[in-house]
Amino acid sequence: MKSKHLPQPPAWADKLLCLVCAPHLLESILGDLHEEFEYQVKKEGERKARLHYWREALGFLKWRYIKRQKQYYSSPFVFSPDMIRNYFTIALRTLAGNKAYSFINIVGLSIGLAAAMLILLYTKDEVSFDQFHANNPNIYRITNKYISPAGKQVGATGNTGYVPGPKFAAGVPEIKAFVRYHGHRNDIKKGNEIKSETVFRADSSFFSVFSFPLLNGDPKTALKEPRSVVLSEEMAEKHFGSKDVLGRTLLMKDSFEKDARFEPYTVTGVAKKSPQNSSIKFDIMIPMVIGPGEMHRATNWFNTFMNTFVLLTPGASIAQVERKMNLVYNADAKEAIKEVALKYGMKDKKVYSLQPFTDMHLSAELPSDNGLAGHSNPQFSYILTGVALFILAIACINFVNLTVARSLKRAKEIGIRKVVGSGRMQLVAQFLGESFLLCMVAFIFALALVQLVLPVFNQLADKALALSYLFDSNLVLGYLALFLITGLLAGFYPAIVLSGYNPVKTLYHRLQLSGKNYLQTALVVLQFTIASFLIIGTLTINSQFNYLINKDLGYSDEHLVSVDKSNLTRQQAYLLRHQLQKDPDVLAVAPKNSGRWNTSAKVNRGEEVAFTYETVDPEYLPAIQVPIVRGRNFSADYPADSTGSVLVNEAFVKQAGWKDPIGQIVDFSYENFKCTVIGVVKDYHYADLNEKIGPQLFTMRPDNPYGKFFVKIKPGTETSSLRHIAKTFTQLFPLNPYSYQFMDDENVKQYESEAKWRQIMLFGTILTVFISCIGLFGLATLSAERRNKEVGIRKVMGASVASITRLLTSDFLKLVAISFVFAFPLAYYAIDKWLQNYPYRIGIDVFIFIQAALLAVLVAFLTVSFQSVKTALTNPAKSLRSE
Amino acid sequence: MNRAYLGEFEEIVLLSTAALDGHAYGVALMHEIAENTGRPVKLNQVHSALQRLEEKGMVKSSMGEPTAERGGRRKRLYTLTVYGERTLTQVREVRENLWSRLTKPFKPAIEL
Repeated sequence: MKSKHLPQPPAWADKLLCLVCAPHLLESILGDLHEEFEYQVKKEGERKARLHYWREALGFLKWRYIKRQKQYYSSPFVFSPDMIRNYFTIALRTLAGNKAYSFINIVGLSIGLAAAMLILLYTKDEVSFDQFHANNPNIYRITNKYISPAGKQVGATGNTGYVPGPKFAAGVPEIKAFVRYHGHRNDIKKGNEIKSETVFRADSSFFSVFSFPLLNGDPKTALKEPRSVVLSEEMAEKHFGSKDVLGRTLLMKDSFEKDARFEPYTVTGVAKKSPQNSSIKFDIMIPMVIGPGEMHRATNWFNTFMNTFVLLTPGASIAQVERKMNLVYNADAKEAIKEVALKYGMKDKKVYSLQPFTDMHLSAELPSDNGLAGHSNPQFSYILTGVALFILAIACINFVNLTVARSLKRAKEIGIRKVVGSGRMQLVAQFLGESFLLCMVAFIFALALVQLVLPVFNQLADKALALSYLFDSNLVLGYLALFLITGLLAGFYPAIVLSGYNPVKTLYHRLQLSGKNYLQTALVVLQFTIASFLIIGTLTINSQFNYLINKDLGYSDEHLVSVDKSNLTRQQAYLLRHQLQKDPDVLAVAPKNSGRWNTSAKVNRGEEVAFTYETVDPEYLPAIQVPIVRGRNFSADYPADSTGSVLVNEAFVKQAGWKDPIGQIVDFSYENFKCTVIGVVKDYHYADLNEKIGPQLFTMRPDNPYGKFFVKIKPGTETSSLRHIAKTFTQLFPLNPYSYQFMDDENVKQYESEAKWRQIMLFGTILTVFISCIGLFGLATLSAERRNKEVGIRKVMGASVASITRLLTSDFLKLVAISFVFAFPLAYYAIDKWLQNYPYRIGIDVFIFIQAALLAVLVAFLTVSFQSVKTALTNPAKSLRSE
Repeated sequence: MNRAYLGEFEEIVLLSTAALDGHAYGVALMHEIAENTGRPVKLNQVHSALQRLEEKGMVKSSMGEPTAERGGRRKRLYTLTVYGERTLTQVREVRENLWSRLTKPFKPAIEL
C-alpha cells in the first residue's frame, strides 16, 4: 500500500506544461517526467528530484513541443486568387441578375451615405469654426454674469462696453493684449452715390491677436491712425476696381451720428477674404476711436454693446485671471456700482468671466452676436445628424432585409460551396465582401450626389461648403470609417445568417425562411417608425410655420413701407409728411424711433416695470391700425401730449396692476421725468412671434430722435408710390442712403430659421419615406415570388383577385400599423418639446397624427399593392405548371 | 544522397530503441543511453530525437498501458520501421567498410 506522503512532482511545472505543450504530446511527456521523478526520488531524495524535475520540465519549453498538431483535414487557403476571382464573378452576376434588388440597395445606400457625408462636412465646418487663429487657445472673450442677491445667476451676456478691455489689460498681467470689436454702419460716398455699409471698428491690436492675413499693408500699423481703413479684397475690388489700393482714400461718415460729415479715410491694408468658418467677417475695418471722456466715465462699466477679446499668456490659469479681473472691476467701479444701484435699483451683482473664443459659435448661453457672424444653434447640428443617421439606418435595414429575404435563392450556391469545402469564415468573408462591393458603388454615387446637392444644402444650412473640404486627413478618415461601418452594418447580419445554412437542407429544398421572421418584421417596423416620426415632425413644423406667418399680429403690416432715416428731426418729419402726402396714394406717414429701445420706469410708488419704449407721433397708431382701448390717442389738440403724456399697452396695465390706468403716473426716475398715461393701446405683436407681448409704452418726447418712418400706401399703387417716396427722400435728404422694405415681407423673413427647418425636415422625410418604400417594394416582390404557387392554388380553388391582393398586402400594412404604436408617443414627446420654444404655438392636434398615419399607410399600400395586384393577376396555370 | 541523414545522437537513440525491442519509451531510452554511453541525457533530447525519427519514418509509435508511477498516463512505445532497420544496417555497412579500409588498424592505447 502506498504511503500517504508519497512525494509528488511540482504541480506548477505540470500546470505550465499543460498550458504550453501541444495536447497530443502532453500525455507521454508528463508520463515520462513523472516516472523519472519517482526514479530520482529513490535515487537522490525528494528535494533533488524536484529540482531535477523542474530542469527536465523546462527542457520541454521548445517550439517543437509547443507546436500544435496539424489538422488532418487541412483548412484551405482562404484568399487564393482563384477564389477571389470567383467571388467577384459571382457578386457581379448576382448584382446584374437582380437589377431591381441592386437598384434598391444602391440607391438607398447612396442617398444614406450622401446624407451622412453632408452632415460630416457640416459638422466639420461647425467644429472648425474659429479654429484657424494662430493664437488659439489663448484668445478669450470677456463675458459677464449677473448674480442675484440670493446667489442665483439671473442673466449673462457676452457683450461688454469700452472700459473692461483696457482696464483689465492694465490690471491683470496675464492679459497680453485686448481687442474691442464692434459692428457699426457707415455711409460711404462714391461719386454722387451714397451707400450705407456695415463697418467694423476694432483696436489696433486686431491683426496681431487674430490671424487675418493682409495682402497689402502692415498688420501692426494698419489700424494705428484714426482715419485709416482696412478693406477686404472683395470690397476693394467693388469700390476701387482693384486690389492694389494702398494709400487711396475713401469718403465715409457715421450713419447714426447727427453732425457727422464725410471724411477721407486712407486705405492702410487689404485683407484676404475672411474664411467662411469665422465668427469675425469684415469688409471694412476702421480703428476704434473713443472720445476722451469715455474711459473715465465709471458708469461705462455697465454698457454692453460690443465684444471685447483678450489674449492671455500661454498656460495662464483662467480661474486666476477671472479672479483678478473681478478684483480690478470691484476696485475701479466701486463708486459706479453704488451709483447704479441707487439710480436704477440694480441689485444684481455683476461678475466677469472668460469664454474661450472657439466656444462662442455654438454656445447657447453666450452666443456670438453683436457684429459676430454665423452663430448657430447646436440643436440644428443634432437634428441634422439625427435625420442623416435615420436615412443611413433605413438604407442599411433595406440591405439586411433584402439580402436575408433573397438568400433562399442563393441557398443552393451556399450549399454547394459548403459541400466542396468552403468554411464558414470563407462564406462570411464572401458575403461581407459583396456588401462592401455594393457599398463602394454606393459610395461613389454618393460622392457625385453630394457634389450635386451641395449648393442647395449650402443655401439651407447657411454655409459655403465645398467638396474640396474633403481633402483633409480627418475628414477622409471620417469618410473611410463611414464606408467601413456602413459595409459592416449592412453586411454583417446577412453574412452570418447565410453562412450558417445547413448544406444538406439547402440542397434538398428543405430550407424554409417563411414562418416567423422576427428580425425582418422588427426592422420594417423600425423603418416605418422612423418614417412616421419624421412625417409627424414635418407636418407639425409646417403647421407651426403657417401659424407664425399667418397669425393676426394685431396690426396691419400690409402695404406698409418702412424707410430708414437716421436722426429724422421733428421739422424734417413734418416736411416729409407734407411732401409725401401730395400723392393721394400715400395714406399715412408715421415716423418712429429706429431699432428697439428697452428701458424701465417706476410706477405705483417705486415698482419697476421694464418695457419697450416707442417714440412715435399721433399718426403712428392709426397708420398701423392699432385701436386705442381706453382713453385717447396723442393729439395735436393737446400741446402737453408731446412732453408729458404717454400711451401704454394692455400688457403694461396688467403688469402695473392698474384698475384705472388713465391718469396714472410713470416715473422715469433716473431722468427726473414724470408723465401721465392718457390711453391704453390694444396689445399687438411689435416683435416677432418668438416673443411674448410685453409691456410697451409710447411717447412723443422731443428728446428722443426718430430713426425711420412708415408709409401706408394704397393697395395696387406700389410702383408709383415707391417712386414718389424715393424721389421725395432723395430731394429732402440727399446725404442719406435710401432703402425701403415692405413690412409684411420683413415679418415673414423673421421666420427664416423656421422656414429652413421646414425645408430640411421635408427633404429628410421625403428621403426617409422613399428609401423605406423601395425597401418595402423589394420585400413585397420577394414575398410575392415566394408565394407564387400558393397564389396559384388559391386562384384555382376560386379566390378572387381582390382577396388575394388583400392577403398579400395586409401583411405589410399590419407592420406599418404596428409602427405607429412606437412612432406616435415618440413624436408626441418630440414635438411637444419643440413647440415649448414658441410662446405662440399651435396645439398638438390629433389631426396631424391621423394625417401622418394615413399618409404612411397610403404610401406603403401603393408600394406593396403594385406587386400584390401583379401576382394576383397572373395566370395560375403558369405558376403551377412547373414541377 | 539516397540515404536519409542520421545524426549521431539519433543513431544512438535508434539503436537503443532496437535494443529495447518493443519496450522503448522516453524514460527507458534515457536510462539505457545514459548507462551505455555514460553521458548525461535529458528527457527532452530523447523526445525530440524520437520525434525527428518518427517524422523521418524510421520509428513508429503506439500507446502502451497506463502505469501507476506515471500518474496513470500511458507510455508511448516506439518500434523500428523497416526503413529504420535498413538505415541502421546501411550505417553499419558504411562504417565497417571504412574500418576495413584502414591499413594500419589502431593499436590499443597502452603503447603510448
